Formats: sequence, C-alpha cells, structure tokens
Amino acid sequence: MSKRVLIVDDEPRYLRLLEANLRTEGYEVATAQDGVQAVDIFSSQPIDLILLDIMMPRMDGFSTCQRIREYSNVPIIMLTAKGEEQDRVRGLDLGADDYLVKPFSATELLARVRAVLRRSQIPTDTGQTRFFSHDDLKVDFARAEVWRGEQAISLSATEYRLLLQFAHNVGSILTSEDLLTGVWGPEYKTEKEILWVSIARLRQKLEEDPHSPKHIVTRSGLGYLMPPTES
Amino acid sequence: MNTKRLDPRTLAYIQTLVQAASMKDDWKTALDKVLVALRAEFVFDNVAIYMVDPTTLSLEITHARAVGRGKAAEADAAWGENLANQVLARESMVTQDPLDDSNDRISQAYLLGLPLFNGSTVFGVMVFVRFGGPVYEDVQTTLAAIAGSWVAALLYRKAHEETHQQLAVLQQKVQLQDDFVATISHELRTPLGFIKGYSTTLLRADTTWDEETKQEFLTIIDEEADRLSQLIDNILESAKLQSRSVQLNVQPLRLDALIRDVVIRVCARHKNLEVELRLDPVPPIQGDNVRITQVFDNLFSNAAKYANGSKIMVATKEDNGSLLVTFSDRGPGIPKAYLPYIFERFYRVPGDRSSKGSGLGLYICNQIIMAHHGKIWVESELKKGTTFYIQLPIKSAI
Repeated sequence: MSKRVLIVDDEPRYLRLLEANLRTEGYEVATAQDGVQAVDIFSSQPIDLILLDIMMPRMDGFSTCQRIREYSNVPIIMLTAKGEEQDRVRGLDLGADDYLVKPFSATELLARVRAVLRRSQIPTDTGQTRFFSHDDLKVDFARAEVWRGEQAISLSATEYRLLLQFAHNVGSILTSEDLLTGVWGPEYKTEKEILWVSIARLRQKLEEDPHSPKHIVTRSGLGYLMPPTES
Repeated sequence: MNTKRLDPRTLAYIQTLVQAASMKDDWKTALDKVLVALRAEFVFDNVAIYMVDPTTLSLEITHARAVGRGKAAEADAAWGENLANQVLARESMVTQDPLDDSNDRISQAYLLGLPLFNGSTVFGVMVFVRFGGPVYEDVQTTLAAIAGSWVAALLYRKAHEETHQQLAVLQQKVQLQDDFVATISHELRTPLGFIKGYSTTLLRADTTWDEETKQEFLTIIDEEADRLSQLIDNILESAKLQSRSVQLNVQPLRLDALIRDVVIRVCARHKNLEVELRLDPVPPIQGDNVRITQVFDNLFSNAAKYANGSKIMVATKEDNGSLLVTFSDRGPGIPKAYLPYIFERFYRVPGDRSSKGSGLGLYICNQIIMAHHGKIWVESELKKGTTFYIQLPIKSAI
C-alpha cells in the first residue's frame, strides 16, 4: 500500500514542488496551507508522514508539531531555513523526527522522506527473547511495548529504535556515530544535534530523574551506555 | 568606642551632608544639595567642577556654581583652571592664596582644589573659591575632602547612567540590525529555495517530466530568478537611500509629462490596465527625474499587483505652494490596522505572502519623496480602494 504524505506550507510553490516529486515515488499526497488545516486533515485521514514548514500564518510549524505530538507519533520532518540552528533544535525538542533545510534539492528531499519512513517501521523481530528488562524498565519486543514499572510508555518509532540499540548492547559503550548509523542511517552519522535531542527526549520518558539517568548514561567523550544491572 | 569626641551637632551635620547626596535624586539635584549642605559649615563663594576628557586628558569645566560674593563670576570659571591643573598633576589637595594684594576683594581669591578619585584614578577636580578670604583651616579642608568624595561618587554615578543610556540606544540599534538581517536572509532564501528545488527536480535522473510540467517548472525558475534579482536591486537601493548616500540629480521637472511617460510604459507591460489622468497644468518642480519616475513605477506596479485590475486614477493640482498628486485605485483596499506600517522596510500586509512583493517598494518611495522634502501618505477603505497622496514643494532648495 502506498504511503500517504501530508505537506504543510503556506507557499503554493513549495506545495507544488514537494507534491510533484513525492508523486513520482508513488506516494499519495495531501496538502495544507497552515497548521490549523494540517491538524484538521491529520485527524480525518490516515497519514504516514508529515512535511511541516515553520513560518506559517494562523498556526506555525512548532505549535502544529506540538499539537500533533499530544496524540500521535506520526513521523514529522520540519522544513527549516538555513542558518536557523535554534529552529532545528526547537523542532526536534518538540518531537519532530528530522528536518530538511531550505533550499534543498529534490533528491535530498526524497532521501530524507525514505529514511524517515524506513525508521518509522517499528521492528517487531525479536531474535531469541521476547522480553527485556532493565531495573524498572520492561520491553515487549513482540508488541513493541515499553513499560516503566506499571506504567506504559508511548515512544515514537525513532525513540523505540534508539532504545533497542541500548537494549541489545547492555554494558557496551555506543558512540554517537554507532547510534546515528544504527537508528537513522549512515547518511546521518555526523548529525549529533538529532541524537542529543532524541536522547534527551528518551530520558524524559524513561528515567525517573532525567538529570541523573540510570538507563541511558553518558560516558563523557566516549558515548552512551546502558549499564549492566545486578539481576 | 569613645563617643565623647563626637558632639551631637557634628553628628547631625554629617548626617545632613550624607543625606544630601541621596540616591533618590538625579545627580545634579543631589550635587546641589551636597554643596548647599556643605556651605553651612564650610563657607565658599564659588565652586567649579572640571572633568578629565578621556581622549585629550585635559580638563573641561562641567559644573560651576556661584553662591556667595562675586555671583557674576559663575559663568567665568577661568579663575580655577590653573589650580585645577596643578591638582590633576599632583593628584592631591592644593590651596592657593591671593596672587595680588590689591584691595579689590573679588580679585583676592583664596582657592582650594580637590582631586576627584575613581579608585586610584583622578577623573576630575573640584575647586572652591573664597573672595577676600579667610584662609582655609584644617577642619574645613577635611570637610571639603569628605564633600569631594561624595561629589566624586555622584559624578561617577552620572557617568554610569549616561553609559547605560548609550547602551540602551545601541542595543536597540543592534536589535533593528538583527531583525533587518533576519528579514533579508528570509526574503532572499525564498526565491533561492524555489530555484534550487525546481531545477534539481528537472535534473532528477530517475524520473522524466512531460513537456507541460517542464514548461511550468522552468517558468517558475525564471520568475523566481527575476524576483531574486529585483529583490537584490531593491535591497541595495534601500540601503543607499537609508545611508543618504544617494545623490539626487535635481533639475526642473514637469510632473504631468513624467506621469504620462510612466503610464505609456506601464500600459505596454500590463495590457488590461485602465488609467484615467486628470493632470492640471502645474508649475515645474525641482526634482530628480529618475527617482520620481521610480516612485510612480512602484505605485503603478503595486496597483497592478494588488488592485485586481481596477481602474487607476491619477490627478495633480497645485495646493498652497506645493504640488499634490493623488493616486487612487478601486481595489480591495488595505485594512486600517496595517496602514501605519506600509512604508516600513520589509513590511508586507499579512495574507499577501504568496504575491511577489519584497516589502521594499513603498519604503523606497517614501525615502525618495522625503529626500525631495515632500510627503507621501495613504488612505484606504476596504472594498472601495486605496489612495496615495504625494505632496512636493514647488519651490525648494534641495
């Protein structure tokens, strides 16, 4: 079944550009000219990915991302302007999965869309064991469910993949490059900003105290580690 | 502690002196209060304060006050300058008795100069004068030194306040500059984004586009390249006008003829544009032909863009020694809330983002008209249309 992409931009020429390119790859496309329209469309149609511009009238990309993240983990790519680093980090902070910097080339656009959609497939292949636990943290690989004590935790596909990297490598230090390549793909291996923000978001959800984490620990200058537990 | 040596009267006096330099007052009022309080125990006729100019390192008089004999000497503080320079050189208190022994009291000046310290640096000198004596006693010089410390603190506070004010002004300028740079980069990136996006779309090796789509995309690239080029021209133009580095080539100008020329060109470009001219015979003005033409080009191009092909009416008439041009369309009009901003740099009426304006056209018009000592303003009514008024002096020395 073909994937359905929602494009949100107030410039008709960007809508046309993105739509024309996405259709050649077999994606179905829906378009919205501002955040309010985007939320309407998203709540009434099945959508697999959102391409979201930031500067828009009525409701901007940040608010739209935040609104959608209140109830959905749909992959979101923010369209940002070059040189606006703080916008990129803010978008990722609000839960966007990736960003595309304007001006971008058609092939770059399609590559990012493919990569994000690839990551959004939640892996349910478990290997040997179905369950994993780390202190109060439990993962059911078969159902892709995560629990902290008695509480179910909702993770985005990217966050879940990131957690799996640690779960499969307990006791080993993983470098930024390992994690970026493993979760996002080799073309992302230098994009540390994405990793920092994603680790921070994951800690917010998993850790009792995100400032002194037990599950995902930073090893300064080396990388990250899920320390072995006594059990 | 032995309190017997401080009698209540002295304590009360010190308190008066300290309170006089209250931080609630501005520095000048506080300074005057300190001097008045000081004079209760330390009699002087005139006082002058000199500050070290940080660039020339010489003394400049900043404050002079005559309170006693020789009030007329207030403006003429030259009597203290020589002594002030000695204080500055020695960095310590200097007194000077009268140089001549004539009977004229005013010329018998007893001077006391005190350095004003900020840390270990002398940043100013305060000089007291008593005409006709008496000589300064030790207790009095101590008192003057206390007052000197207070005055130094006050002046330091003054400098501090001034620096703060300058900083606030600079901060605002930097903010404006930041906003300007942010807006420029956004404005430039929009057309660039389309050119990059659509050209790489056409260059994709993994797909083909039909002829119609290719034409559509190439047209967009072409239009956006034009928009980018016009934007750059406008940015340079507005920067030049802003810095007042545009030299006007002023000559006698017949505005009716100029407007007719513009109309011929504009109508050739926009075939369906309907223009009605009501040009009264008016005397020539002094103006720059190219710049004034630019103003009307801009107004016509705006009307063609935003007034949905409505009829445009241009009228000129003489009005009280100046020339008034009215430029009206019957387009959708501009909401009242946005009118005050439309001559601002990069301002665009919200909701117009898809149209191709740069937000610089009217800013440039305003700068040009102002450079001609004229005025441009706008009136608009929703659903009825918009009218621009331009007033230019008929006789003007530009």
